[in-house]
Amino acid sequence: MRNGDYSPTRFDAQKDAVSLISGAKTQANPENTVGVLTMAGKGVRVLVTPTSDLGKILACAHGMEVGGEMNLAAGIQVAQLALKHRQNKKQQQRIIVFVGSPVTYDKKVLELIGRKLKKNSVALDIVNFGEEDEEKTEKLEALLAAVNNNDSSHIVHVPPGPSALSDVLISTPIFTGDGEGASGYVAAAAGGGLGFEFGVDPNLDPELALALRVSMEEERARQEAAAKKAAEEAATGEKGEQSTSQDVTMAENVNPGTSEPEKKTHDLTDDENALLQQALAMSMDDSSSTVAVRDTDMLDASADDHDLQLALQLSVQDSQGDQSNPNDVNKIFPDQSYMSSVLAQLPGVDPNDPAIKDLLASMQNQPENKEENKEPKEKEKK
Amino acid sequence: MSCLHDHSCEEHDCSTDWSLYKHIDLSKVSALNEAVSGSVKSVFKDWEQRLNSSEGYLESNEDDPELIVFIPFTSDVKLKSISIVGGADGTSPAKMRAFINREGIDFSDAQNMQAVQEWDLAENLQGVLEYQTRYSRFQSVGNITLHFPVNFGGDASTTQIHYIGLKGEATQLKRDVVATIVYEITPNPSDHKTRAETGGSLSHVE
Repeated sequence: MRNGDYSPTRFDAQKDAVSLISGAKTQANPENTVGVLTMAGKGVRVLVTPTSDLGKILACAHGMEVGGEMNLAAGIQVAQLALKHRQNKKQQQRIIVFVGSPVTYDKKVLELIGRKLKKNSVALDIVNFGEEDEEKTEKLEALLAAVNNNDSSHIVHVPPGPSALSDVLISTPIFTGDGEGASGYVAAAAGGGLGFEFGVDPNLDPELALALRVSMEEERARQEAAAKKAAEEAATGEKGEQSTSQDVTMAENVNPGTSEPEKKTHDLTDDENALLQQALAMSMDDSSSTVAVRDTDMLDASADDHDLQLALQLSVQDSQGDQSNPNDVNKIFPDQSYMSSVLAQLPGVDPNDPAIKDLLASMQNQPENKEENKEPKEKEKK
Repeated sequence: MSCLHDHSCEEHDCSTDWSLYKHIDLSKVSALNEAVSGSVKSVFKDWEQRLNSSEGYLESNEDDPELIVFIPFTSDVKLKSISIVGGADGTSPAKMRAFINREGIDFSDAQNMQAVQEWDLAENLQGVLEYQTRYSRFQSVGNITLHFPVNFGGDASTTQIHYIGLKGEATQLKRDVVATIVYEITPNPSDHKTRAETGGSLSHVE
């Protein structure tokens, strides 16, 4: 549970997911109630009996500690008992279990429990994360098969990875299964927090929200102009527009890049968030616009680590040393023919310019990039 | 379809007798351990249709003959008798236990609690047997829960019920709890005139 394979630790990722789910459920319907219990530690403990008070549910996450061994069967049975004694008997019963540790029980025992849950029409959602174990997966699938009645129960396997546990869960039927309000809340929460565009409450801070929106629009317009320009000029290998390179952005984010814009986009998996961070970077960066443009650089560049790093280095060098470029913005494309054609067409850039020749020379020193010349490309700043 | 009651049917129409199904709140009917969710609603129908299972019937899950059927009414009823049509080949239920005016009974509750009344059923494929209730206990029934713990066995791994008929009277009264209760943190005496104050005198409390 202290492993870092889910960021920040498995335990914290789990706590986040739990609070997100509780929030979604309580918002979906005012009569919904959610309770929380822990299975390891000193034993199965109900931390909070089913309640519609989100504050209580979130508060119970504070005292939780890691320790002991998980007792899955007892946990599910106690949960069933807690549900049985709910105040409003008209409510449907559902248990959502997060299984991070290995499962010590037999398949038979789990199937028996599953059948009992099915008989009492209790639905079960299983989140399988943490320890990856053939047996564990098998057992949990068997449990799900025993409980499942008409697809009301689900299982989600979350492998370790860069995206947060909560984000992965958002798109699963665990959130969307009960549909309507739940998915609305979750979609909003995914958009950067608390359901507001750009993560900022327009009521609380209208200027910031407006500034973000404006800079986002500007960025979008600029990129469209850039893309159009590139499309006009490119002989070959146009590297794609903003919208098609979102996946590339994600790949980028995993790179061990050193620049800040990369770091800013590191944790995000949502396309919108990438745009948002870009806009934020632009609006917050008072240094030269090279930083902001580097964002778009990455989006347009191919997913080649080494090339990217090189490109970044060159950008820095260029902005510091190269005065002969009339425009103060440099962009790097790893496509030689495109580069050279663009370079030739751009006004004010003389391929025989010593500064540019230097750059070419330094680039050609890189063994990998012998084939491709990295040319600084002039970029019009809006 | 002639009914084999010990009276002649020309004087009354059997189907009006068994018309309590009209007072059932069908949307809130539920069953536990049913194989097909929602199939329980198909067992409440007109007397004439009792043998017609084209709409489906209630069947329990494989290898588990227990069934619980929860039947809420739209108003309180007086229940006189119950008729059950089961399935063939031992899938008919053999015992029936009834609980009155309790919600959310599940299998462990049903097994531990004392039923209001229990019956041993017979295989009643034609739907002509009725099981009478101890009428005094069934005078104001807001909802009834029927628990069928066993079937007739043999090869049957499930229990099937094709029809549940209820005979009795509806009283047009509702047994519901008070819908709106206003709780006061500090009482306002002027809202609570006692009989002593209003009885004869004209004074009022400030």
